[in-house]
Amino acid sequence: MNLSPLTVPYRILQRGASVAVAAAVAVASGASALVGAIGGVAVAVVLVGVAVLALVGYELARYRRYEYELTADTFDIRSGVFARRNREIPLRRIQNVDIRRGVVQRLLGIAAVDFETAGGSETEAAIRYVSFEEAKRLQGEIRRLKRGAATAGEEAAEESELLFSLSNGDLLLVGAFAFDLRVPGILLFLFSGVGSVLAPYLPDSGGLVVLLGGVAAIAVGVALVSWIVGALAAIVNYYGFRLTRVGDELQYERGLFQRYDGSIPLDKVQTLTVTDDPLKRHFGYATLAVETAGYTPGQGQGQGQQSASVIPLASRDRVFALANDVEAFGTPEFERPPKRVRRRYAVRYGLALAVLAGALYGVEAFLAAGIPWYVPLSAAPLVPVAAHAKWKHRGYWLGDSHVVTRNGVLKRRTKVVPYYRIQTVIDSRTAFQRRWRVATVTADTAGSLSVAGHDAAAVDVDAETATRLRETLSDRLRTALAARKRATENGDPSPATADGGGDG
Amino acid sequence: MNRLHPRVRRLWAAQALLLAAVVAVAVFVAGRVVFDGRIPAGTPLAVFAVLALAGVVHAALRYRVWRYEIRDDAIYLERGVVTRVRTVVPFVRIQHVDSSRGPIERVVGLASVVVYTAGSRGADVTVPGLAPDGADDLRERLKRLAIRAEGEDAV
Repeated sequence: MNLSPLTVPYRILQRGASVAVAAAVAVASGASALVGAIGGVAVAVVLVGVAVLALVGYELARYRRYEYELTADTFDIRSGVFARRNREIPLRRIQNVDIRRGVVQRLLGIAAVDFETAGGSETEAAIRYVSFEEAKRLQGEIRRLKRGAATAGEEAAEESELLFSLSNGDLLLVGAFAFDLRVPGILLFLFSGVGSVLAPYLPDSGGLVVLLGGVAAIAVGVALVSWIVGALAAIVNYYGFRLTRVGDELQYERGLFQRYDGSIPLDKVQTLTVTDDPLKRHFGYATLAVETAGYTPGQGQGQGQQSASVIPLASRDRVFALANDVEAFGTPEFERPPKRVRRRYAVRYGLALAVLAGALYGVEAFLAAGIPWYVPLSAAPLVPVAAHAKWKHRGYWLGDSHVVTRNGVLKRRTKVVPYYRIQTVIDSRTAFQRRWRVATVTADTAGSLSVAGHDAAAVDVDAETATRLRETLSDRLRTALAARKRATENGDPSPATADGGGDG
Repeated sequence: MNRLHPRVRRLWAAQALLLAAVVAVAVFVAGRVVFDGRIPAGTPLAVFAVLALAGVVHAALRYRVWRYEIRDDAIYLERGVVTRVRTVVPFVRIQHVDSSRGPIERVVGLASVVVYTAGSRGADVTVPGLAPDGADDLRERLKRLAIRAEGEDAV
């Protein structure tokens, strides 16, 4: 198969425009110094003409020498004008097929297709560009072929079920909740620093009141702006969001200008993450993200992690129902850490405040700039509240076939890990944790979000519980794997076990 | 539970001494160039002594804590002086096993084994302080155990 013929003019315009402008400017300015203004323009025109011809020739050659083919068990690409490259990707290894279309590409009816595998952080193969219909055909064909030759061609047998879609009203809600509580906090902190530096230059009369008022006004203003920007970004990202289940794959589409069509094979799911913050909790909403090995769907091309969600926003019950649809884990009943860790958190926050005030006091003693060093101490009454909240939102739960952990107050993450996806179990105890007889048990998976340090972890559980938990997790991993193996050997055709799965 | 070879203390102490020496030289150079000889002449030596002592004590404590065990279905490791870490690596999750000998390890006559998994955090686990033959044996044993466990779903 070849690329879409429209690829040639599109790429020429896309790449040519910038090249031509840069070349014209550089050449005209350089040559005019040598052969005068008119001669310079002539030279520029000739050189740009040559460059354009070369570009057209190259793009034509690239188009003619680019071939791909879908065989029964591999996807082959032969490409390259000067250096030829033949690549074969086993279909079983393909995790996601992502289709992306920008505004111009949508007008032309072409699309970029990315194929992701578990290995490495890079896209395994990127096709630029095919018609959108062809892209959808590839996505569907790969899904069918992956399920095995026996079922190939049974198109009618594949029912597609709409799991979730965002109406315009829902979309506005997504935008409203795009507000991140940490942003104003960070801004307030930054501006308080600026304020302290500016303090000596402000008028003396009522300086403190003016200063605090100014800081508050600036913080509110910037928070408002960042909220609006965040809301707009979320709306642009999630416009027309639809999540469908086709056979044993999830498919999503979203985007106002740039449209994304992605696929997530259910049998490659490593972890589910339900995220919420105080605002969403108050109104009973949550967000769901799905991780597959080495790659989080929708994350490519400079998209932040927030766009990795499978459900941008839905009521809590709905999110848990859908999550259960993907991985049937049941309703978690979280076991909280022992109550004594609340004292630990209180001590920690108290110390942090004291250190902050102390540092400010030190600066004040050194500069005598009238810094209100005692301001952080006014947060002292919040310490027990914060400590309690931190304790309250922590927990873990062992289900029949999944472990579920929960951590975080401002951004609370509930992570669902199937036992058979656990890679290693890590029990770590810092010197401080040993003092409080608590430990952290982490269930490491091959997921990708965890690279950022948000593993599924039961934090600050009692030391004895931790030891038990560690052994339980590794036992359950073994039994879960054995059960899956038996199911495969007995020829159980369930999609979750049909595939040998991972990467060697 | 297996302990490491006692000579591993020498290995870690040697590494600590090397680090201390590098830092001391850096302090010496900085004292000459940046502070123009205004810091006391004995500072680099004092820095070396403190770091070296800390390193040697840490090496001894580390040796006392380090344990590993080959269980029926997993390799279990216990280590860490300040943060105590206990890791369970099931054989089914082992992707590949290396044995390696660094320059100082060769001088001391020791070797280590590195176990790789597909995990994102504990992706590689090192067992240091093994006799060279012991390291090769351990590597072969882990390899056989991993093959027997047959990671049908490695990722």
